[in-house]
Amino acid sequence: MPTKVITLAEAVRRYTWDGMQYASGAALPVGSDAIAFGRELLRQKRRDLHAVFHANTQQLNLLAAAGAVARAECGFSGLEGFGFANGLRRAIEQGRLVLEDFSNLAMALRLLGGALNWPFVPATVNIGSDLQYRRAFEPGIHPNRNKIPAVTDPFSGRQIGAFSPLRPDLAAIHVTLADSDGNAIMLGTEWSRFELSRAAKRVVLLADALVHTDCMRQYPNLVRIPGIIVEAVVYWPFAAWPQASPGMYDVDEAHMKDMNRALGSEEGAAAYVRDYVDSYADLDGYLERIGTGKRAELSNGATAFLLDPYRRWLLPHAEAQALSTGGDA
Amino acid sequence: MSSAYSRQEMMAIATGREIRDGELAIFGVGLSMLAGYFAQACHAPGVRAMTEGGVYGATPVGGLPWGIECNRLAVNAVSFTSALDALGCLVASGRCDVGIIGAAQVDRFGNVNTTGIWDGPIGESYRPPKTRLTGAGGANDIACGAKRYLIMVSHEPKRFVERVTYISSPGYLDGGDARDRVGFVGGGPSAIITTLGILRPDPQTHEFQLDAYFPFSGVDEILANTGWNLQVSAGLRVVPEPTLQELAALRRVDQTGMLRR
Repeated sequence: MPTKVITLAEAVRRYTWDGMQYASGAALPVGSDAIAFGRELLRQKRRDLHAVFHANTQQLNLLAAAGAVARAECGFSGLEGFGFANGLRRAIEQGRLVLEDFSNLAMALRLLGGALNWPFVPATVNIGSDLQYRRAFEPGIHPNRNKIPAVTDPFSGRQIGAFSPLRPDLAAIHVTLADSDGNAIMLGTEWSRFELSRAAKRVVLLADALVHTDCMRQYPNLVRIPGIIVEAVVYWPFAAWPQASPGMYDVDEAHMKDMNRALGSEEGAAAYVRDYVDSYADLDGYLERIGTGKRAELSNGATAFLLDPYRRWLLPHAEAQALSTGGDA
Repeated sequence: MSSAYSRQEMMAIATGREIRDGELAIFGVGLSMLAGYFAQACHAPGVRAMTEGGVYGATPVGGLPWGIECNRLAVNAVSFTSALDALGCLVASGRCDVGIIGAAQVDRFGNVNTTGIWDGPIGESYRPPKTRLTGAGGANDIACGAKRYLIMVSHEPKRFVERVTYISSPGYLDGGDARDRVGFVGGGPSAIITTLGILRPDPQTHEFQLDAYFPFSGVDEILANTGWNLQVSAGLRVVPEPTLQELAALRRVDQTGMLRR
């Protein structure tokens, strides 16, 4: 079977362009975010992105701080226990990025609508609030009737709302385990990765580890993203760092705080990009940047047992790396 | 008699006391999670807790989780599903008994703003806030769908305003039957629990009134910290202070001392 495993640089070269609708994020702000893909978007100087993130993550925070995003749509826009997302808020407050607000369920429903190719999704949430009446993408109309238009339930006659479906150009999705054909297992909450993988026109997976396909045959019920809808797989350990990946590594608390502090200013953001985006040549360089000691510490978390059933199918680092095609890093 | 406790701890305990054993409950990250898991650790061991990420059956280990998908919760969950499942099938559907949300601003009809702080009204044309906050997140879904919900907020004049600048999560909107007219599945906010006391809505006007104050606060302090002409309920009472048992349970949940800073 031909492998879908390509390098991160090749994935960004092949599947992204300026001005595209780019979807990522994943399981809320502090876990399972395909942020390594976002770092590579910056390395290749992609800009003017329309970001679709179910909830903000450090990835959106970074892309916004670096000026790569013109428009964004999300539900939650903070960093949970790590506070406000300084890079994102700075871009919004300065008017460099326009953020369209929805709730977290609304984003999941809009992705489901895109996945099913529905014309709209009935809205029983977000109605009656400013999420319905205020539209950042169309600021001059108040109350806005185009963001979540009122529709009548044909059965009860009751008035509800209509959510527009989302069909992003690309979804970069973090998964814990993938095989070389793109069959994937996610440990921890899926958040909306199932819906996103069906809504996006193309899907690229960022996997913390590669496994033999026998693993998928052992646990087919757990393969919620099958290879038949996946374009490419990138092998990238610590793909969500400094965020967590249940079973694989814990959140890097110190880096989360330092990073968010840095993204709060123009100079800080530039320094962060210099030190943690442009500073490595390839995957091994990236892993060195995190540090051997830090990686060992983060991997030794209380959830490591979640990985136990799958360990026998994990491909060793060198073998996984050797599968990647597409040239440089 | 109990030992010294902080105002935030009193707020969390008073919020937790609103949760009944056996209820299906949803908690957001931060203080609301501490209040919810306090209830589970203290008087409501059978509470069926979930997070909006679809993490079920988990109790935090090692301190307050950094997020609702944090490894501190993932470590002992019995089921991981999704946002669509938790916020949709279990909350927006109307099945969830109670939720807890926070607020940057709250008004006299219990509407919540967590989107931004503007320098005055937004005006006819939408413009970015002076200070951007965290957005609606799952709180709007809880506010629309949960049978009832609790609002937990620090009691300061800048937070307790006549009318929020932006409604991120709907309370009773303009009061009276305004909420009913929209036709939400859920019932609305049943209490605002603050660092000074507890406010509850009048059953007809749905305006929030002062229902109770904490042992260390009083009516004058509460009125001075509320930005609207707060009415005092005829049945005004003082909230019993935390018992030693309650404090011990709360501090087991709040291992990293978030509420004692």
